[in-house]
Amino acid sequence: MSDLSLDATQLDRYSRHIILDDVGPEGQKRLLEGSALVVGAGGLGAPVIQYLAAAGVGRLGIVDDDVVERSNLQRQVIHRDADVGRPKAESAEEFVADLNPDIEVEAMERRIAPEEARNLVADYDVVVDCTDNFPTRYMLNDACQIEGVPLCHGAIYKFEGQITTLSPDGPCYRCLFPEAPEPGTVPDCATTGVLGVLPGTVGCLQATEAVKVLLGLGETLTGRLLFYDARELSFETVPYQRNPDCPVCGDDGIDDLAGVDYDGGCGVASD
Amino acid sequence: MEVTVELVGEGERTVSVPADADYAAVVRELGYSPHEVTVLVDGSPVPEDAPVDADHVRVLRLIAGG
Repeated sequence: MSDLSLDATQLDRYSRHIILDDVGPEGQKRLLEGSALVVGAGGLGAPVIQYLAAAGVGRLGIVDDDVVERSNLQRQVIHRDADVGRPKAESAEEFVADLNPDIEVEAMERRIAPEEARNLVADYDVVVDCTDNFPTRYMLNDACQIEGVPLCHGAIYKFEGQITTLSPDGPCYRCLFPEAPEPGTVPDCATTGVLGVLPGTVGCLQATEAVKVLLGLGETLTGRLLFYDARELSFETVPYQRNPDCPVCGDDGIDDLAGVDYDGGCGVASD
Repeated sequence: MEVTVELVGEGERTVSVPADADYAAVVRELGYSPHEVTVLVDGSPVPEDAPVDADHVRVLRLIAGG
């Protein structure tokens, strides 16, 4: 692979990557040939989409079933006032087109169904979990584990965030949180509020992990959960291990999603 | 018995629970519902209804927002 495969405009656009040790023209080509599925185009999805598009990740899938509301604009920085009422996936697609014409976007205005989850994630090199609900979060974990696709997870609450990377050869989300909480027992941003810049920080860390996965660079957060407290501006690392009895990635883990009740507590039916 | 709990993001504290208490009792002592958190012993979650057999645990809250 040589830098001749990048045209003059790309050499200019990505010059700070190209001159960077451990990325270079080969790494940039890898990003341009790479793909990422971003699930959720809200608080976390906005910076993830922004930075993956700017970095030149060649194909971005963007899934969101919601429309832009004015109350989103305090933190969802890819959407504009004029986008209020538009589907977030459509608004995000337009943002990417304006930012970087190198990027092919597949905008999906829907919530992922269990029947399509495995095929959908398998079509990408990396998946970024920017969801705001547990059923989709557990579904992504399960589908990515079965299909062997890395998943960069992030979640936010008030002033704090959690980030980890779920690799095919590492522990999964269920190894850390075996089952989803009962609906309504864990508050969301709409009921508690959230610091506007918080998803920017957390989403940038997720994007960092996704780029590293695509480049095969450095050490990811596999087996480590990074806890971020914006009030204290502190980070804490929580190590966790693979559970041999995990119903998804354990020794007798599932190989399809048919037995998982995503409408309930995301429990996995035992044989 | 006394259990040292590291509540991620909120620091460490010691709670007292009966000798036959389960991990759910430890969590409730912290003011949380077992649905809201996972209890880790040596990096692995333990069932909420399992009897406490560790003197140091880490508690991590589930958060939903995106």
